Amino acid sequence: MTTDLQTEPGPRAPGSPPALEVRGLVKHYPGVKALDGVDLVVRQHEVLGLAGENGAGKSTLLKALVGLVRPDAGEIWVRGERVRLRSVVDAADHGLGMVFQEQSLVPNLTAAENIVLGSEGPGVRRGIYRWGTMRRLAQEQLDKIGSHIDPLARTDSLSFADRQMVEIAKVLRIEERTAHPPVIILDEPTSVLESKEIDTLFTQVRRLREFASVVFVSHRLDEVLDVCDRVAVLRGGKSVGEVLAADAAPAELHRMMIGATGSEDHYHDGAAERSGEPRRPRLVVRGLTGKTFRDVDLDVHAGEIVGIVGVHGSGREDVCRALFGAEATVAGEVVLDGRKLDLSGTRAACAAGVGYVPAERKTEGMVGPMSVADNMTLTKQHARCSGPLVRPGKQATLVDTWIERLSIRTPHRGTAIQRLSGGNQQKVVLARWLVAGDVRLLLLDHPTRGLDVGARSEVYRLMRELANSGVATVLLADSLEEAIGMSDRIVVMSDGRATKEVAAPAGAKPTPLDLVKEMV
Amino acid sequence: MSTPVLAKPAPEPAADPTVKARPTTGQRLTSFMPVIALVVLLAALTVADPGFLSLNSLTAAVRTSAPLVVLAAGATLVVLCGGIDLSIAALCSLATVFFALWLPDLGGLTTLAIIAATGAIGALQGVAHVLLRIPSFIVTLGGMSIFTAIALVISDAGPIRVADRDATHWLTLYVAGVVPMSFVVALVVVLVVSLALALTPLGSWVRATGYSESAARLGGAPVDLVKVAAFTLSGACAGLAAVMLVSRNFSGSPTMADNLLLPAVAAIVVGGTAITGGHGSLWRSLAGALVVTLLRVGLPIVGVPSAYEQILYGAIIVAAVALTLDRSKVLIIK
Repeated sequence: MTTDLQTEPGPRAPGSPPALEVRGLVKHYPGVKALDGVDLVVRQHEVLGLAGENGAGKSTLLKALVGLVRPDAGEIWVRGERVRLRSVVDAADHGLGMVFQEQSLVPNLTAAENIVLGSEGPGVRRGIYRWGTMRRLAQEQLDKIGSHIDPLARTDSLSFADRQMVEIAKVLRIEERTAHPPVIILDEPTSVLESKEIDTLFTQVRRLREFASVVFVSHRLDEVLDVCDRVAVLRGGKSVGEVLAADAAPAELHRMMIGATGSEDHYHDGAAERSGEPRRPRLVVRGLTGKTFRDVDLDVHAGEIVGIVGVHGSGREDVCRALFGAEATVAGEVVLDGRKLDLSGTRAACAAGVGYVPAERKTEGMVGPMSVADNMTLTKQHARCSGPLVRPGKQATLVDTWIERLSIRTPHRGTAIQRLSGGNQQKVVLARWLVAGDVRLLLLDHPTRGLDVGARSEVYRLMRELANSGVATVLLADSLEEAIGMSDRIVVMSDGRATKEVAAPAGAKPTPLDLVKEMV
Repeated sequence: MSTPVLAKPAPEPAADPTVKARPTTGQRLTSFMPVIALVVLLAALTVADPGFLSLNSLTAAVRTSAPLVVLAAGATLVVLCGGIDLSIAALCSLATVFFALWLPDLGGLTTLAIIAATGAIGALQGVAHVLLRIPSFIVTLGGMSIFTAIALVISDAGPIRVADRDATHWLTLYVAGVVPMSFVVALVVVLVVSLALALTPLGSWVRATGYSESAARLGGAPVDLVKVAAFTLSGACAGLAAVMLVSRNFSGSPTMADNLLLPAVAAIVVGGTAITGGHGSLWRSLAGALVVTLLRVGLPIVGVPSAYEQILYGAIIVAAVALTLDRSKVLIIK
């Protein structure tokens, strides 16, 4: 059910003001109205979800709440008191703290050092670290959230999930600064976690509610509805309403986010468009063995999307990289279209028609400061050259064609790719493999990570069309639902071995539960 | 919305040429900063001593700058790839000794032999960096020490006179009577390498390697080859610079070019090339090398006491980098 924000009834007795209230917040950037009058109420001891597409203003709002952005107009009230936040320290003094999307821990320090970093208090005396005190302070924080992480463990030796716990423990230090329960903001906390770790995080979030208010931001609507009490929706920098999580469905939330009814068919299953006749496998992998995987067998047919699922540490990412020649193998044979595939390096794989979209788009998928055009033609140089020479005209025509075909929103082909939104960046990265028209096998490692609903569905559609044109695809999906929806067949990996194969044709899809049973 | 993404779009009524993300005036200005810094410096020196702006002193300045331009140009390639070559000056000194020793036997072929040999030595460093995965800083630091030692050993720690001046005579000529041949050669080196970067996929590969090596590798760029090529060219440039030095000094010496290392690095950064890799060009280093040379020859000429010369030199280098560094392209200033 949807209710208007202002008339939302609730226990707002005069004696208990909301933990945090935002009124008419406005922030302009040159050419963009990032926030256009946002209202938001976070009650005490509640988990408030914040939903909205990329560009809806979520990040700007969060930054304003922790003093990283100064709003042009509007008010922020903490416990019935108007505040002006000039810095993160200012925000912390008012009990507002944020766990950042890009993790903000220093990897080569211990968990304890990270937890007290910037607020050492008694942990430092006369400029000297007092390790005992610091360890105790950190242990107190970790105890608060019931974590069993060793405070003296180096941060980079911890898993992503554990690092997130350290971040939460760190941000809870702001309790020292205020007399009342803090407001903890979690910005896209699940985007780097595997499903099991997400459950742990959710338990943690529910626990946090006991002594704090939580603002939870995620682009995964099922998650938001799962963990939150209420969900506020932003669209185009405005608050467009809110729902009680208990009685809302993802589709309804989605409709509010995009302002129209969302399509249920995100995955564009192209079963109807494909013929049923059996085809020769395009990719045949036998006994592939590397550092983190053993004896992996895999067949992918032309026009088929095969999903590989597995928990963190199952080795599926490394198999993917090995097929692209970016990860060493010690045994096994890979045949692509009847020809043995050279796994010695990425050049050989590219030349053989293998394409790879890495999970870390910003550091591995694209060269940020280079232009859209140069990123798109980085691999298939011959597509923009005549002989050894680059032909700028040829490149411009080619790139503009693909910008048009994939409807990539960029001011110009010469714009640096890092200025584009995540979805458009990903389309450029995908286009890199398509410009020469010679891609036969696509390896997609979390191709929709960090993309909003609209961009995701465009990537899905593109994947399906590529498959229909005969490309064989290996997909490491962002979620089990995505793997199930997109794949024709799913291979389960566990402990470096391919343990099970599940058919997933349209109309007879396995459930997530079926797969989870095989994964653990 | 539902048009197939891969189908060819309907023929357009001619591509729209109006969509152009033109660089702002500020951005244009930033890319010309090295040249602006050069002009400002020239003007300042002229104001300090009106006699400075004469054909004689300018000719002398560009002639002096030629070896530095060549050294900096080669090292710029390595820097663009995200590495650094600290061995250029030591290799250059070693090459002057080689030149003096080989000239009696090889005669007119000595120049080519020197360039080939230093290129090979550069390639060796590149291979060590790539295959053994040792940071370029360390490889070339080791190289610097080794080359200096070899030069000292084979020269008996002293200068070797070059008696046959015919082999390097052509470098001492003047084009059109005023432009020193060595400077013209330096310009040709910058021009040829710049053209190769601009007109072939090399430029794209070099920048991708410098900005983000892992992304370049996963994008199928020949990262290792590009790096080895950069070190090879850097070595070859050190050899060419050595020939230029010999043509002026008529001798080879194991320490002849050693004082050119820091000026070469200064030339690269004054030109605005990012020391972190990716962003920059050889033209920038050319302008940077001229700034550095003007400072070195200009400050004494305009009467700055030698005690203050180094202070002024250091201050101007820092100020010039503050001007020329394009911060919009470099996210983290290290």
